[in-house]
Amino acid sequence: MKNLINFLIQYSVVFLFLFLEIISVTLIVKNQEYQKSVFLSSSNSMVSGLYEWSNSVVEFFKLRTANESLSEENTALKNQIVNLQNKLSTLLPEASDSLRFRIPPEMEYQFISAKVINSSTNKLQNYITINKGIIDGVKPDMGVVSDEGVVGIVKTVSNRFAVVIPILNPKIQISCKFKRNNYNGSLIWSGEDYRYANLTDIARHVQLSLGDTLVTSGLVASTFPEGIPVGIIEDFNIKESDSYYNIKVKLAVSFRTLSHVKVINYLNYKEQKNLELSSEEQ
Amino acid sequence: MPIVLSNIFRFILLVLFQVLVLNNIQFLGYINPYLYILFIIALPVRTPRWFSLILAFAIGLTIDIFSNTLGIHAFATVLIAFLRNGLIKIFTSIEEGSNPTPSFYTFGVGAYIKYVVLFVFIHHSILFYLEAFSFAHFWIISAKIILSSLLTILLILGIQSIKSK
Repeated sequence: MKNLINFLIQYSVVFLFLFLEIISVTLIVKNQEYQKSVFLSSSNSMVSGLYEWSNSVVEFFKLRTANESLSEENTALKNQIVNLQNKLSTLLPEASDSLRFRIPPEMEYQFISAKVINSSTNKLQNYITINKGIIDGVKPDMGVVSDEGVVGIVKTVSNRFAVVIPILNPKIQISCKFKRNNYNGSLIWSGEDYRYANLTDIARHVQLSLGDTLVTSGLVASTFPEGIPVGIIEDFNIKESDSYYNIKVKLAVSFRTLSHVKVINYLNYKEQKNLELSSEEQ
Repeated sequence: MPIVLSNIFRFILLVLFQVLVLNNIQFLGYINPYLYILFIIALPVRTPRWFSLILAFAIGLTIDIFSNTLGIHAFATVLIAFLRNGLIKIFTSIEEGSNPTPSFYTFGVGAYIKYVVLFVFIHHSILFYLEAFSFAHFWIISAKIILSSLLTILLILGIQSIKSK
């Protein structure tokens, strides 16, 4: 017994070491189930408070470019309004006898604008924290876009903050298609460079050319509507033995300068999910 | 008492600098220095081992919470804190009873550089492989480790040479 106690005392440091390492490994493994760890991540209110404060300093230097992109978007929207008004005026007489108002498919989406308060681009698995949460109507699985294109998908939400998994994380794949011929494939980040990602599942017979534009396919309609820009083809090649192209895509969004994003709220999400679930059960 | 205070001050300063400045730095897409381990490098030589393990766990976990990498930094820092006494013994001979803070003056220039280089390299290797959790990107990660270690080492040696005795 005395020997045992001596032994324990002699190696107490080793035991402490092992104990702390086991805690660390447990945390790493638990971290895979990301939802559980909101408390110990940057959507924790104290941590995000610090980030918000530091961001308010940094944001000042980004104001000029943010202004420019806002005014560009503004003019584009105004043009759209003029176009729509023109169309509306020609359609008006027919609309008078319609029975019931229904939101057309293009407008089943609402946007919640948010500010990026923390983001990384240099890890193998990157995350973005934004300053909108449950209170503002953000829920997990919602799509996130910026003025330039697709950013990512909301993963966890706390009351006032949310963590987004951007394209720059191999945990998600974005389903997208060519604007020109509608072939679709999924986009995966390779982990090397925050400006590029790889497009997979494009078969050999598809005609490609450099500079083709990629947009979201809308097949996973619950997150992204169809036609949001994702990137353009920078480079592609195919080996004799392969049946799929190896395509390098230059992303539309520059993640290093990201500051304002919009969360997409798909209004019919619940109805569609319920329908899909009930048909799976049968 | 001043030693305790200066270490608390160093802890806070290094965490803030790491989280607010260095985590946003990215040269060439690869280099990402982790200067915060200077805290463990610069703990006084005779700090009890159990205490330095707990301090290492604390600073590692703090960095983890701020950078959404739960457990990874904690693991790497606890490991080097465990190896620290061995490293010091290999490179230097400190007299019994004295309790210096590691630096150029107390260790000697050559010994201190060797100590820092090995320390940083072990830490960064473990950190980056743990982050990737696979050997799939072996060459990219090795390049990241070497370049980031170089920058961290330069930063640490630079800071130490500026600091007065």
